[in-house]
Amino acid sequence: MLERRLIIVSGKGGVGKSALSVALALRAQRTGKRVLICAMTDQVGVALHLGADRLGYAPATFHGGIQAMAIDRADALDEYIKLQLRLPAAAPTRALSRAMQVLVDTAPGIREVITIGKPIFDVWQGHHDLVIVDAPPIGQLMSYLRAPAVVADLVPTGTVRDQSRRMATMLVDPAQSLLVLITTPEELPALETAETLDDLESERLITLGAVIANRVLPALDLPPERLGKLPDRPASEAAAHHLGLLELQELTLALLPIDIRLPYLFGIHTPAEVSAQLADAWDDAL
Amino acid sequence: MNRPAIIIVTGAGGVGKTTLSAGIAAVIARRGARTLVITVDPARRLADALGITMLDRTTNRPTLVPGAGPLDAVMLNVTASWEAITRRHAQPEVADRLADNPYFRAVADRFPAAQAYAAGEQVAEFAQSGNWDVLVVDTPPAEGGIEFFMAPRRMRDLVGGRLLRWLTGARLPGRRMFYRTAARPMLRLADTLLGSALLEEIADFLLDLRTLYDGLAARAAAIDRLFGQAKVLVATTDSPGAMREASRFFSSLPEINASPDALIFNRSLPDTWITARGPKGAGVEDAALRENMARWSIEARRNRDARLEMAARLAVPMATVPWLRHPPTDIAGLADLIDRAAGLTAILETVTA
Repeated sequence: MLERRLIIVSGKGGVGKSALSVALALRAQRTGKRVLICAMTDQVGVALHLGADRLGYAPATFHGGIQAMAIDRADALDEYIKLQLRLPAAAPTRALSRAMQVLVDTAPGIREVITIGKPIFDVWQGHHDLVIVDAPPIGQLMSYLRAPAVVADLVPTGTVRDQSRRMATMLVDPAQSLLVLITTPEELPALETAETLDDLESERLITLGAVIANRVLPALDLPPERLGKLPDRPASEAAAHHLGLLELQELTLALLPIDIRLPYLFGIHTPAEVSAQLADAWDDAL
Repeated sequence: MNRPAIIIVTGAGGVGKTTLSAGIAAVIARRGARTLVITVDPARRLADALGITMLDRTTNRPTLVPGAGPLDAVMLNVTASWEAITRRHAQPEVADRLADNPYFRAVADRFPAAQAYAAGEQVAEFAQSGNWDVLVVDTPPAEGGIEFFMAPRRMRDLVGGRLLRWLTGARLPGRRMFYRTAARPMLRLADTLLGSALLEEIADFLLDLRTLYDGLAARAAAIDRLFGQAKVLVATTDSPGAMREASRFFSSLPEINASPDALIFNRSLPDTWITARGPKGAGVEDAALRENMARWSIEARRNRDARLEMAARLAVPMATVPWLRHPPTDIAGLADLIDRAAGLTAILETVTA
């Protein structure tokens, strides 16, 4: 998987997208790759998991080599305009792009192309071996993945059409781009993941690299019929709680073709510890 | 005719909003108020408890919940989108033209505010009917429910036309105006970027949409006011994503003319687990129980710390609802869950007072 140029990481809000984007970057870095993490809509998650406060639009370097940036809509639009008009990076296009922001904010579809365009442009520029995208929550994922093809169809001629088409071609090429979907063993994240898998099956906008179950609980070696007969009240309640969650876990994970299970990290950890532990667990699982 | 009190239950997906909404409505109805619970996508067993059948799901018609006093339930049809909004507000030929516009077809139907706005319009209709004293609204899950509150303004912005004015350079533009001003530098740039055919389609779309403006703007403003007067209960669990969403409500809602009135911390773990150590025996079973207790003792501490931290930071009344292995799926059980939740009865009394 790490041989690709672009890996898009998505899942329902709160399942650990940012933690696993950073964990994936740590794993790629171990194999000597130059990695960029690109946070598309969540400005904070990736920063916290790298042990930083926040990210800027210009990539900053963390952990001896991993680069990370957050997409700023105004900056991304400015860069997009320069690329389209073939202007140098230093060209004074700020006033122009600020005025164009109205169009981008209000007309649906255009914002998505510019946002997903940023990591793709970075791949084309070739400064990094691998670009990892901490993508929007899974409910919005399809509209971002569809956007380049939609715009390419809408725009009759010109560079935008050509570039949108090139973006769509790159996304769909399994040698270059993969999608990683994260779920937790809970009902709603699993159902939304299953729906997205159906959409991907019918639309084929990108190849699925892996479905990862995060926060998977360990087994508890206790026959359920023992529950009512345990003298220690809190231990009995906690065992019932755990067995109840395990039951739900097996039901929900059975809905999905899970490739990798990563453990629930009991205890209190900093976000940076979480991503480091998940990177190790991910390596162990392979 | 008195306006009904409106309670909106919001929060991230998966925190139990639908169960909490149904329970809250059941408790209020038990006190004799004519209550309507407006839900979005209840799980099958909950829908059964509310007496919602498959037929009712498509009709938006409230039905009496059996054995629950003056309690009605309705499931919102959130698939109603642009098509429904334009059919309601536009002349038939304009609605037809909109439906045929390639830009509209390609992207406008995915404008997420449209679905949330359509849901808001339905809530407003129920509020204006005068049939209920209290409405309990379970918000649709898009963007953790924030979209629901933002939708009226987003719709008004889109239709009211900052973009349209930008494209045409006029407050009340006509089609000719668009082509006459098409030489402006900004449009030339947009033209280079997007191609003039697309710009014309966007402009046509917005010009047609403009005819909806008066009806839609008045309606959107009314919905916005309704949300402003509503009592907003933000539900969360101790999952990091849910807590982050809940915090987002507290920072965003004041901007959108609503403010959270209480926090409901659902599925809280017992504080007694924090110091529990499990059985001391040497057997395999006791060892397994000790190990499991150690895990959950630390989770219970995290859960309590999260509750205390949120209550202190957000400075609103907080209610806690315990984690249950099998959440109730009948009306009496739902009402009992809410009645037994620490702090929730007091909150509901201030809401319905």
